[in-house]
Amino acid sequence: MGDALPLFVPAVPFALVIGLAVVESGINPFAGWSTSWLIFGGAAQLTLISLLGSGAAVAAAVSAALVVNSRHLMYSAALAPTFQRQTAWFRWVGPYLLIDQLFALSSLEQHAEEQDFRTYYLAAGLTFWVLWLLTTAVGLAIGPVVPESWGLEFAVPLLFLGLIVVGVDKSSKVAAALVGAGVTYLTAGLPNRSGLLVGAAVGILAGTVLERTRR
Amino acid sequence: MTAFLAGVVVGIGTYLSRSIFILALARRRIPDPVLVSLQFVAPAVLAALVVALLTNEDGSVAIGAPEVAAFATGGGVAYKTRNHILTLVVGMGVLWIARAMV
Repeated sequence: MGDALPLFVPAVPFALVIGLAVVESGINPFAGWSTSWLIFGGAAQLTLISLLGSGAAVAAAVSAALVVNSRHLMYSAALAPTFQRQTAWFRWVGPYLLIDQLFALSSLEQHAEEQDFRTYYLAAGLTFWVLWLLTTAVGLAIGPVVPESWGLEFAVPLLFLGLIVVGVDKSSKVAAALVGAGVTYLTAGLPNRSGLLVGAAVGILAGTVLERTRR
Repeated sequence: MTAFLAGVVVGIGTYLSRSIFILALARRRIPDPVLVSLQFVAPAVLAALVVALLTNEDGSVAIGAPEVAAFATGGGVAYKTRNHILTLVVGMGVLWIARAMV
């Protein structure tokens, strides 16, 4: 828990923005908040909620959210050897909690004893989970109180921009982001916001091609 | 109801992506080309999302000068400090000041 709390601090505005986005999008508040325990992954939740609220087709919003969360495949593969030594129930429960922060923490503990790893993983994971559910609920509660003129809907793209800027650590990732943005802009008129998926796909392709030509 | 079901579908998909190697494919490795591509998912999708959120459904731009100013400042703060709270506070602050001036 001691390790989990400092890592939750940066997640606080994220959770609050999700609550606000639910209010903004006009979707059912309980359904919006439920993404916190159904999905338990901020970027995908915010993707789904903001796209449903901006008039995207449900299929496009769901696909985009799934693509956002496909990065978890990397975490699953990286932790698989450690989980092989664990009891069956933990192999089923553990992945549900596997968010970015928990991956970062637990990958440092891979050489711990079975029991120690399990205790550490569950304590950190459940701490995040409880705080996440509470904080998104707080965002939902304060959303209707905030005046429209504050333009809080702008906090969503601003937060995404922050995630991009902090996450790009090499030029091929910058290229993936710029191409993704550019192609999405060019295809923004496509029905049901499907241009987003085209832009994302071309962006991923651009980053991949750049990375491979450089080797 | 639709929103809840959409959450269920994404939730199941997310669980699968987090569990598949742990539960089923523990002895398999992700092929290298896939691994290379996966690292570009987050920047490409997030950038596409930003553009989607800042354009109207007909493809026209939905923001003006205050938003651009807030975005540029927020991006700069994120780059310098790598702090999401500060990025939000400064970005929204610039937005409010710029809107008041326009």
